[in-house]
Amino acid sequence: MADQEELAGLELAYQVEQFYNREARFMNQRQHRQWLETMVHQDIHYWLPINENRFAKDRRPEVTPEDGGIYDDNYGDLEFRISRLETGQVWMEDPPSRIRHLISNVEVYHTDDDKLLNVYSNFHVYRNRRQRDETNLIGGRVDLLVREGDSFKILKRRINLDMRVVLDKNLYFFM
Amino acid sequence: MVNVDNLIDLENGIQSKKVFWDQEVYDQEIERIFGRSWLFLTHESQIPEPGDFFTTYMGEDPIIVARQMDGSIKAFINSCTHRGNQVCHADSGNTRSFNCSYHGWSFGIDGELAMVPLEAEVYFNKLDKAAHRLPEVTQVDNYRGFIFGCFDAEAPPLQEWLGDMAWYMDSWADTGGGAELIGTPMKTILKCNWKVPSENFIGDGYHVGWTHSAALQMIGGPLSALSGNGELPPMDDVGAQITTRHGHGFGVIWELGHAIHRDPGDYIQFQQQTLPEVIEKKGEWRGKFYTGHWNSGLFPNCSFLYGTNTFKIWHPKGPHEIEVWTWTLVQKNMSPELKREIKKQAIQTFGTAGTLESDDGENMETCTRTNRGFQTRRGTMNSSMGMDGDGRHPELPGVLGASFIGETSYRGFYRFWSEIMKADSWADIHKNDETWIDNWLGKDAVSGMAARNIA
Ligand code: FES
Ligand SMILES: [Fe+2]
Repeated sequence: MADQEELAGLELAYQVEQFYNREARFMNQRQHRQWLETMVHQDIHYWLPINENRFAKDRRPEVTPEDGGIYDDNYGDLEFRISRLETGQVWMEDPPSRIRHLISNVEVYHTDDDKLLNVYSNFHVYRNRRQRDETNLIGGRVDLLVREGDSFKILKRRINLDMRVVLDKNLYFFM
Repeated sequence: MVNVDNLIDLENGIQSKKVFWDQEVYDQEIERIFGRSWLFLTHESQIPEPGDFFTTYMGEDPIIVARQMDGSIKAFINSCTHRGNQVCHADSGNTRSFNCSYHGWSFGIDGELAMVPLEAEVYFNKLDKAAHRLPEVTQVDNYRGFIFGCFDAEAPPLQEWLGDMAWYMDSWADTGGGAELIGTPMKTILKCNWKVPSENFIGDGYHVGWTHSAALQMIGGPLSALSGNGELPPMDDVGAQITTRHGHGFGVIWELGHAIHRDPGDYIQFQQQTLPEVIEKKGEWRGKFYTGHWNSGLFPNCSFLYGTNTFKIWHPKGPHEIEVWTWTLVQKNMSPELKREIKKQAIQTFGTAGTLESDDGENMETCTRTNRGFQTRRGTMNSSMGMDGDGRHPELPGVLGASFIGETSYRGFYRFWSEIMKADSWADIHKNDETWIDNWLGKDAVSGMAARNIA
């Protein structure tokens, strides 16, 4: 991870927070393609590793992108997932489910490269489906954002979901 | 005792909806099925070194599987013999001992009680430590690297339990260097009965085009024609449905092993390179199975998709919930790059956020939950598709159905389910070993598939 010393100034931090709020709104309004096309970098690595419960003394190396994960997506993979949702044939989304993203704990740092920001944030995703099917998923994200004009694109995202057994039937949504 | 004949009508392929809901059915399953069947534990590639362990369940019992100092594998119950605390809370690792967090009893990697704190001072050295080892799983054995355990000493050996299913699986488990499971298993929950995904994976070719319509359309390639059941291929030479003595079974589509992969180029190449070895070692038929796609089940609760490289176990958590564990299934002789590529695609389709996985989960939950209704539960479910075509094949073992889209292996799953649920012991089950097909289908039943002479 790049240098984390230098905290971004107020204005830049504000812009990043607004960027995340917009992203959350796109998710909640199912504007997935808009999210992809306006907020995601062509070279993205979108990664959600598999957690494992290990003893503290376990000497095996930490998980790396080489290990793959529940998400191990490039731009084309994300595009594929979104296209599937757009077919109109995903029966479990008909009637549509409801989803809400709450984003918090945003920390924005400069890196050695002027164009890149290292950003931490937390999320709480609430899903509500059918009559009374609901789940709450909480985790954190580590992003590498590229500055583009007044806005940003997500170049890398590592999602850490705070559970071993995923207490939901799937994770087919974006965090 | 549940009256199984009121639940299953073998002659007509009908099951009572109670099998997905009733607590008494579940309790009897835990005792008679999970207590007497060989259950999948792990793959030896997951615990290669002495001291390596992996924790899992057999039914609802917590189990530790551990590689011993001599390289053998033992399994025991993950519950302290002092006051019952769970002794190991890690999913996997390497250790010399399991130390109970309650009073500190320490068990060796072989399950023996090795150390008791203050043994001299508080037990005056009178505690019989040998009698307090972690209870060992009665039988543990290995089919080509896949480790299974069984709590019944009377159960047949693993090879016999797998029976004809192993003959089919050998087409890829005994070629290409053998098969292995890679990576950390993903774990999710589904609020469904354990038999819903078990029956779906074992035999359901019918749902593929409809349930997975969106994903098939996006994946493209040969299976996209199935999307939305839009364009059905000719049904008489597409594949087969197979069921075997102990309820294991599968459906195969010829030549399309790779078809769920979005980018199967390197996988197809691997198969083409290794196919001559398979044919030489196992014959023409198993060469044909080798390049096919299988949706498969090992009775009772282990399922896999050979071709899509997905291997799953459905751990029961009461009648209405399961934990789904998912690994990637590969051939050992594949290059590390190919394994990595296949793992990515397998997880992308049938992992926790999978493009096809997410289609299935809700169906499985509501197939269970609707039975909460008393009147609903008095109804029945139908698995009669292609019944007239079930029978023997002159060259292939087990019972074969008439076509890939059929419910032969559903029927075979519930045939053995009812047999083991009714049997008082393995001795009872053995009485049917020679006659199960005759009793079920009659002496002259010839598979519709064989009748068409597809070979
Ligand atoms: S319960 Fe394990 S040491 Fe007491
Ligand atoms: Fe499915």
